[in-house]
Amino acid sequence: MSIANLLNGVAFGALLLILSSGLALIYGLRGVINFAHGALYMLGAYVAYQSVGALGFWGALVVAPLVVAVAGVALELGVFRPLEHRSHVEVGLVTFGLAMIIERVIVLIWGEDTLPVEGPGGLAGTVSVFGSGYPAYRLFIIATAAVMAVGLFVWLQRSRTGLHIRATSQDPEMAEILGVNVSRLSLLVMAVGGALAGVAGALAAPYFSVQPSMGQAILIPVLIVVVVGGVGSVGGAMTAALVLGIGQTLGNVWAPSVTVLLPYVLVIGVLLWRPTGIAGKRVV
Amino acid sequence: MNRFTRDGSSPRRVRRCIALLAVTAMATLAACGGAGGSGSGSGDEPIKIALIPPSGGVFAIYGRDTIKAWEFAADEVNAAGGVDGRKVEITAVETDGTPAATVRAARRAVTQDGARFIGGIITSPEVAALQPQLPSMNALLLNSSAVDDPLTGEQCNANAFRFVQNTRMAIGGVASSLKDLPAKKWAIMAVDYSAGRTSAKAFTKAVEASGGEVVMTQFAPQPTADFGSFITKLQGSGADGLYVHENGVDAQAFVNQGTQFNLFDSFKSIVSFKVINEPLFETFGQKVDGFNADLGYAHQLDNPENAAFVKAWKDEFGSDPYHVEADNYLTAQALFKAVEDAGSVEPKDVAATMEKLSMDSIVGPIEMRGADHQLQRSSYFAGVKFADGQLGWDDITEIPASQTTPTADPACKL
Amino acid sequence: MTTFSPPTEADQDPVPSGRPGARRGPRVSRRAWRAAAVVAVFVIGLGLPVVVSNPYYLGIATDGAVLGILALSIGFLASRCGLISLGHTTFFGLAAYTFAISTTNWGWAPLVAALFAVLVGSAVGALVGAAIVRTPGIGFLVLTLAIGQAFYQLSVQTALRPLTGTYDGIPIIYADGQTMLGRDQADMGDASQFWPIAWTVLIGFVVVVTLVTRSRFGRTIEAVRENEERARFSGLNTFTPRLLAFMLSATGASVAGVLFALKANYVSPNVFSFVTAGDSVIAALVGGWTTAVGPVIGAVLYVFGQSELGATGNLQLFTGIALVVTIAFLRTGIVGALTSLWSLARRVLLTRRTR
Repeated sequence: MSIANLLNGVAFGALLLILSSGLALIYGLRGVINFAHGALYMLGAYVAYQSVGALGFWGALVVAPLVVAVAGVALELGVFRPLEHRSHVEVGLVTFGLAMIIERVIVLIWGEDTLPVEGPGGLAGTVSVFGSGYPAYRLFIIATAAVMAVGLFVWLQRSRTGLHIRATSQDPEMAEILGVNVSRLSLLVMAVGGALAGVAGALAAPYFSVQPSMGQAILIPVLIVVVVGGVGSVGGAMTAALVLGIGQTLGNVWAPSVTVLLPYVLVIGVLLWRPTGIAGKRVV
Repeated sequence: MNRFTRDGSSPRRVRRCIALLAVTAMATLAACGGAGGSGSGSGDEPIKIALIPPSGGVFAIYGRDTIKAWEFAADEVNAAGGVDGRKVEITAVETDGTPAATVRAARRAVTQDGARFIGGIITSPEVAALQPQLPSMNALLLNSSAVDDPLTGEQCNANAFRFVQNTRMAIGGVASSLKDLPAKKWAIMAVDYSAGRTSAKAFTKAVEASGGEVVMTQFAPQPTADFGSFITKLQGSGADGLYVHENGVDAQAFVNQGTQFNLFDSFKSIVSFKVINEPLFETFGQKVDGFNADLGYAHQLDNPENAAFVKAWKDEFGSDPYHVEADNYLTAQALFKAVEDAGSVEPKDVAATMEKLSMDSIVGPIEMRGADHQLQRSSYFAGVKFADGQLGWDDITEIPASQTTPTADPACKL
Repeated sequence: MTTFSPPTEADQDPVPSGRPGARRGPRVSRRAWRAAAVVAVFVIGLGLPVVVSNPYYLGIATDGAVLGILALSIGFLASRCGLISLGHTTFFGLAAYTFAISTTNWGWAPLVAALFAVLVGSAVGALVGAAIVRTPGIGFLVLTLAIGQAFYQLSVQTALRPLTGTYDGIPIIYADGQTMLGRDQADMGDASQFWPIAWTVLIGFVVVVTLVTRSRFGRTIEAVRENEERARFSGLNTFTPRLLAFMLSATGASVAGVLFALKANYVSPNVFSFVTAGDSVIAALVGGWTTAVGPVIGAVLYVFGQSELGATGNLQLFTGIALVVTIAFLRTGIVGALTSLWSLARRVLLTRRTR
């Protein structure tokens, strides 16, 4: 049964990976922790719920990231840009307040009930993995995350835009002097970050079901992963996500009480030892 | 920056003024709020009941059905002229389900709206937090939902009465049917709070008494979104029987995800507690076919009061009532009788008559036990069968209170 | 460096008069005026239950006072040290639970339990502070958040059920016949009985915070906040002042936690929750944490909002809006806005008079 347990961990880590890559991108570029990321994820899930009826699951998987990307752009134009000259902590707190507003508005629109979302019919059953049956849908999540991770990596490492993003994350002023259009880049990064949150939300809908507390519930694991992974390091965040997902799920089998504290011990340890995170390159 | 602004006022002095102003403002505002508290009534004072269900979360649907049942009972009795001429007034206040919010809402209902009777509180922690505050609020709590044993045990309170079967009573119904089930090695999956822990312990005792053994016990927090790791552990436990105690949304998640993992096919017998109820029949469908479940109330119960109730309910809402609705209707009837017997709405007087309450109800003859304020009523156990495209109860067994709760909890010092 | 720019609080005399003896006069009367004002506010406040007979509003005032102490602890740390803590629930909750466990599980006298709880909270505050005060900005925020949530997880751990009751919490039960400050347990839940305790502690804490801020220690902390490197190069020990400030703040939160448990007679994991942590910071910020009075006002407003809006479920919506509006527009919070308004009004009135 431990294969199934391991896969549970990988599945959760995979979801966390998609979500945290987006947050890490934003954190890297803007230096601000977007506390509203959980709310964006929640928005993605609710939009997916809304669209599943008309467009089916695959349609919802396209619509949700688009909508949340737009929300990300709105965040950039409405919050990050006007407050550019304020301290990072202040902007972070504004996103904290926005998270509360967005989450409540979502509930006002869709209600307090937990909303069930059926996954795609083709993925409803179990797949035999090393002898035991494992839900196909969870395997799909793992596969999707793998594809996204590779895609993101290739984009950041090989493309020109990716180069610009990495440069700006390291030193925004220098990048601007060298001719990078930081404003346009910010828009792009917010859109991509939002889209990733939307994908994560849509994927999570059949997995976790859509409910009012989902934004808050995922925020802390995501924050921990991003901070541990390193300021703006997407690779670091991805690795930390998988480590956390697998570590927690496996640990649950052996020592549940201790395992639950694992993420907190991890983030406290890392922040005290290396405030920039494990792979980070810039002090906050 | 100069300590004094141009016009000579000091920022610090201004702030001190604000502090004084704030205190005065608070006092004025509060005084304007008027003298509160419930005045002593006379004559045909209405029966004011405040319901405090949760607005969201696992139990939201029970909250809504609670309000529905109380309003149904109130309308029914008001149409017939009220209780001894007194009108029944129901106010519902939703909270986020945390104990602190519920206590606050109760206090508000009692001081601002003049409510004397509080109902509709779903979970045991909320009731546990509220019970000690009742005497100072001069109100009675009518508990038709929170099942944790200590509420009529060591935490019992003179102003609180319970009308639903407590965990021990409900498990008693399950335990007596264990010997008829084929499974002998059991795994337990329960919700991690008092009620879950109590039921797991009681079930374990019952299993051992019937000659079986419990090979694994797990608890999941409420709420739990992902039961994956619990399910894989259950699959590896080697048990041939599964006992599940989960509530509302968690129950749905567990059943859905368990089906995704093909969990339920690997067990000879499955006993579910608080998992299955009529509102969830459609969602569950075939997934729970063959389960055995506890039952607090079944609309098929054969007595004249129930027949009348079910008919009236069906005429009004088009469906049969289930245990949440029935339990609240039952509580309402008990309250009305106690008020009638007391001839007053003063909590003290109503409590005195409620303690000795004895009446015919929709679940047959019932009696309130004065020693711990727990209503004596039967528990039920039934099979769940999927036939003709829908779920239904099958083979209902009744276990009387004399068997499930022969004596009052000695920890209760009333 | 992160700062919310406050007006300078340097306790300097205005234009020196030039004559050596003259300085003593104005300073004594100013200090006396201040002390008299504090005593006046205290005495008036004690009489609140006489004026306000409505138990509902009195309950709000009481809860507001208790939350005010927590908010002030957070506000003090944030404005004086530039350290914003999303984890003060750690000390608040720890003290509340310690009080509950020592009275209910161990049968201690309530007063002893209360003092012990504050001690435990402060001790943990010292340990936590020593570890984290040197971490700057966002790192500190995330650290405090993580620590607070770790304690939440501890409070719901199955293994600790006999101690904490996990999700069910602990209904507080005094040992037979015990009283707290002359009141028995049922009375403690009564707002009119509890108010004098809450009010006294609140005023006491406000006075302590104000005195600390105005002292030389207060100025040292501000120097460190403004530029840690420069302060260090000037020869100041930058670690100890920050640690001491953190400890004071943690003690305040612990006191608030004990008061909370005393009044509610019930503790549950909610005292450690993320929502509580966030809302207490917001209450302090919105009230205006550059002053001692601001966070208290923010707390009272929050408690009022909680009672009125709780049923609608929109509390978090308005709290979020208040936070965003405050940071974006009212940078010194409500008190700051009122102060500016007052100055503006005076200026307008004076100008009009001289015309």
